[in-house]
Amino acid sequence: MPLCEISRNEVDTTASLTQSTTRAEARPDRLWRITAIARNAFREAVRDRVLYNLVLFVLLLTAASIFIGELSGGQERKVIVDLGLSAMLLFGVFIAIFVGVGLVYKEIERRTIYAVFSKPVARGEFLVGKYLGLCLTLLVNVVVMAVGVSLALLYVSGGWDPLIPTIWPAVLLIYIELMLLTAVALLFSSFSSPALSALLTFFVFVIGHFSADLKALAGSMGSTSARWLFTGLYYLLPNLANYSFITPAAHGRAPAAGFVFAAALYALVYITVILAAATMVFSRRNFK
Amino acid sequence: MNHDRMKTVALGSVVVIGITCAALLVRWTDTLRPPPDPNAIDESLYLNGKTARRISLGFNGLVADWYWMRSLQYVGKKILSQPEDVAIDDLSKLNLKLLAPLLDTATTLDPEFLDPYEYAAIVLPAVDVQEAIRITQKGIDTNPNAWRLYQHLGYIYWQQGNYQAASETYGRGAQIPGVPPWMLAMKAKMEADGGSRDTAREIYTRMFEESNDEQVKDMARKHLLLLDSLDQRERNPKSEVPVR
Repeated sequence: MPLCEISRNEVDTTASLTQSTTRAEARPDRLWRITAIARNAFREAVRDRVLYNLVLFVLLLTAASIFIGELSGGQERKVIVDLGLSAMLLFGVFIAIFVGVGLVYKEIERRTIYAVFSKPVARGEFLVGKYLGLCLTLLVNVVVMAVGVSLALLYVSGGWDPLIPTIWPAVLLIYIELMLLTAVALLFSSFSSPALSALLTFFVFVIGHFSADLKALAGSMGSTSARWLFTGLYYLLPNLANYSFITPAAHGRAPAAGFVFAAALYALVYITVILAAATMVFSRRNFK
Repeated sequence: MNHDRMKTVALGSVVVIGITCAALLVRWTDTLRPPPDPNAIDESLYLNGKTARRISLGFNGLVADWYWMRSLQYVGKKILSQPEDVAIDDLSKLNLKLLAPLLDTATTLDPEFLDPYEYAAIVLPAVDVQEAIRITQKGIDTNPNAWRLYQHLGYIYWQQGNYQAASETYGRGAQIPGVPPWMLAMKAKMEADGGSRDTAREIYTRMFEESNDEQVKDMARKHLLLLDSLDQRERNPKSEVPVR
């Protein structure tokens, strides 16, 4: 990254924090400091051209809308929903992993973290702020992509398409899954190198989608200790299969409101636990 | 400054000339490559449906679409390799041994995807009738309210001359709420007069009216024309059959 951008980031971070801490003295509001860090993390992601993936996504959908009709035997609407939502998940996972693991590391590498912690900012606030900033980036990404899928459906159907309202609950579940994965990436990056953190987060993503198999495996094990181990892993690892609603959405089926609520609640609890663990690890870290 | 410009022009020229040379070399190597083995495309699938579903990491719908499009390309390529036109319901001479596994994988990845079942019911009987029945029955098991799958399964049994099984299948389909009334009429027709030309006409008329697939509609239309010409020949054995 050019030197001018590094100094611009540093200036942004410290400036927004100075502004927020000055206000914080007047209003001892933890939320205010977290918001300042989140806003800065979002600005940094935009400056790092993270949202450029949207251009690729739009090109992909445009090509699909035009050419898939000829290849899919009249199934272009289903293919557009499958392709659009899968690309949304895949691009989101890449952003969550590769930007998520660099959130803390980059601040340490550029030494901007010293400027941040010279202000009255707790380490937990810093982590939560960074996390929310990336979640905001992902939200913008996901919403723009969902609008893109809806427009592609309108184009293919030549008017209103009944699939449009059914994709949005699936989009919400994808976003919740990405929030969970971002928290996992942040946890790993709080004590490990970016490469290892990315690898471990990707493993969690893969294993998270195998959770039903873990349960089945636990049930089929002869040894009690192995059964306990796999049952433990099933409950310990995030159950990402709960958020896979792309295929039903392509058939016009939306998840029940109760299911979405339960999945969101599970994610909230899990994210809270992960961020608490990340704060615990990060608080013990020595930057000298 | 002048030196820098020269350097840029030289490097740009290397890029353009290099890409042109690479493209020409690809064309040359294409001419040297031995012709593709016609059986190479028929190598067995590496993954079965269950394994593919397990490792699809939530992208099973997209992977099912890919298998579906691959099935269409597979049949399309085989048809194009034939010198004359081939009817969609008589592809037995094309050696389509991968079609059943491809459709099976697509429907295992996305059990609610109805088009591969319909395709299996229409195209597969000429290749492997047992697989056609199994895949269509699998579709009924996972989508018990999709009455068109009963219509297709009944059609397969009817083609086999198994009018009893066809009648039972139409009867089961007729019990689904909102199903068109002719499904029940087909049950009775199969039971009473399964092998008649009237029943055949009824089956192909319904297929023509209900299918969204242009190939299936075309196939049904051809069968209806054939039935018309047979009727006409019986009425006036000496006259020429008019072509529509």
